[in-house]
Amino acid sequence: MSDPVTIIMIEDDEGHARLIERNIRRSGVNNEIVPFTNGTEAIKYLFGTDGTGADRKGQALLILLDLNLPDTSGIDILKRVKENKYLKATPVVVLTTTDDSQEIKRCYELGCNVYITKPVNYESFANAIRQLGLFFSVIQVPPAAI
Amino acid sequence: MTPVSRRRTALQILLLSAGFLVLIAVSVASVLLVNKARDDNAWVVHTVEVESQIANLLVEVRRAESATRAYLLTSAPQYLTEYQTATAGIPVALDHLSNLTTDNPAQVANSAKLRTAIEQRLAEFALGIDRVKNNDAATSVAILRNNTSTDALEAIAKIGRDMRAEEDRLFALRTATADRTQVFASSVTIAGSCMVLALAGFSIVLLRRSSQARDEAEARLLDNNLNLEATVDERTADLREANEEIQRFAYIVSHDLRSPLVNIMGFTSELEELRGDIFKRIATLNRSASMALAMPDDATDTAEPELEGSDKQLSDDFTESLAFIKSSIAKMDRLITAILNLTREGRREFKPERVDVRELIESIVKTVAHQAAESSATIQLGALPNMVSDRLALEQIFSNLIDNALKYLKDGVPGAVTIGGRTKLGFAIYEVKDNGRGIDAKDHQRIFDLFRRAGTQDKPGQGIGLAHVRALVRRLGGTMSVASELHNGSTFTITLPVNWTGKNRDRDS
Repeated sequence: MSDPVTIIMIEDDEGHARLIERNIRRSGVNNEIVPFTNGTEAIKYLFGTDGTGADRKGQALLILLDLNLPDTSGIDILKRVKENKYLKATPVVVLTTTDDSQEIKRCYELGCNVYITKPVNYESFANAIRQLGLFFSVIQVPPAAI
Repeated sequence: MTPVSRRRTALQILLLSAGFLVLIAVSVASVLLVNKARDDNAWVVHTVEVESQIANLLVEVRRAESATRAYLLTSAPQYLTEYQTATAGIPVALDHLSNLTTDNPAQVANSAKLRTAIEQRLAEFALGIDRVKNNDAATSVAILRNNTSTDALEAIAKIGRDMRAEEDRLFALRTATADRTQVFASSVTIAGSCMVLALAGFSIVLLRRSSQARDEAEARLLDNNLNLEATVDERTADLREANEEIQRFAYIVSHDLRSPLVNIMGFTSELEELRGDIFKRIATLNRSASMALAMPDDATDTAEPELEGSDKQLSDDFTESLAFIKSSIAKMDRLITAILNLTREGRREFKPERVDVRELIESIVKTVAHQAAESSATIQLGALPNMVSDRLALEQIFSNLIDNALKYLKDGVPGAVTIGGRTKLGFAIYEVKDNGRGIDAKDHQRIFDLFRRAGTQDKPGQGIGLAHVRALVRRLGGTMSVASELHNGSTFTITLPVNWTGKNRDRDS
């Protein structure tokens, strides 16, 4: 058996985090979710105490990333993840309230896999999360490949 | 500044007139003095003439005397002839002298006395001559030998001396006068010239000073201009910075407002779901309770449990509350989205390009044709000057205005919208005119404010359109205004530079 994918959720707003979690669960994804409410702790977890990311080598991860964090910019985390040799294959889903085309473009340029705008409209939000669930299931099929 | 220069000009004119006056005075004085000098000289010449005439006269008298004596001694007729010529010339010379000396009473008296003396003398000569003719020359010779000079001879000598002395005195006097006049004339000329030169010098100094003042003023003006430009640049930079800050602020605020809104909406939806579950459970409990009470038979469980009475009321209240929350959230979300769009629009780079305004407006009219037909409104286009501006911004401006014109029509009156334009002093002025419900004068400012609307609120809208339009017009370097009366239609006027170069855009955004 392969390692189940661990979902790293970096989201400072606890409400958003809870909503995301509930919707993920509701769409039938039961992977472990490791939540972080600030960038510093998330970076410590992802890159380890030595900052190389060697701790996470070979782990199947998926990162849910909010761009508006209180201490660091989500863009910086995205950049570091995609520049790290152990983590660059990890899929990153950017979740943010910004639907600014410039920012979306920037995220994709930095290697973000999916960019989801947090809509207020519940229906579309649930839809987005369900798509995310599909996305999880897709990457869960060949976990060994990571 | 102005009074000083005016005073200076007045002084300049004064100096010039003073110079002219001095010149005229000097000229007049010169003419007068030259005339006077001429007169003086004439008098001097006159004196000399009188003297020479006196001398002449005395010589003639001498000549007559010597001729008389010669005749007395020789009785030669040639001396008689000479005597006759001499005595013939004497009265003429005497008359001449009298004529010359009429100006001087002393000389007149003298000449009269001289005349008497000479006549006496001539009579003596004539007597002598007569004696010779009567062969009585001896008496005369005796008289001569006795050297008894006659009174007349002495008188002639004395008067001649007197007259000479008098003329000498006059000569000295007149020469002195003539000299004085000449000296005076030259002094006047020199003084006048000096004065004119002084005035000219003063004038030049003044001119120099005024030109210096002008140069200084010019330099100051240049300085001020530079300062002004610098100040304007500074202010513009400040304003731009403030504007950018406001836009950033609006952007951040709308973002941050959105974040809790996501929670509110999300958890409201969660509550909605919970409500469904809760009331379903209540219904189920109620039914099972009633079933248990009524000793249920084989009633199917598949039937949807339904709420009754107060439970239904509770559920409806719950639904209503949630509906209000959700509609408010939706509204708030629209507002925030609108602000975001506005700030994004504010950050968009405008590109000036040649725009065929008629074509642009025609395409807008085409897109609203359906809306116009629905409200049986007509849209007419007048003259529409082309210009260089940002196409997208113009499109948004005109489509908002046309949309508004069609939206706020008067009930029961077919709409008539006219769009016209003209150019004036490098600006294109466009007017969008309708016969709609109009806007009360007190709301003319308010309608341009964000989220503010006026009049009957029977049409959907956020109160963003005109705020957006005005922001765009400003960014395009123009102004806009409204002329309207309640129930009497509105005219929106937009003034935009014909050749916008993009100067007003925020360079850093």
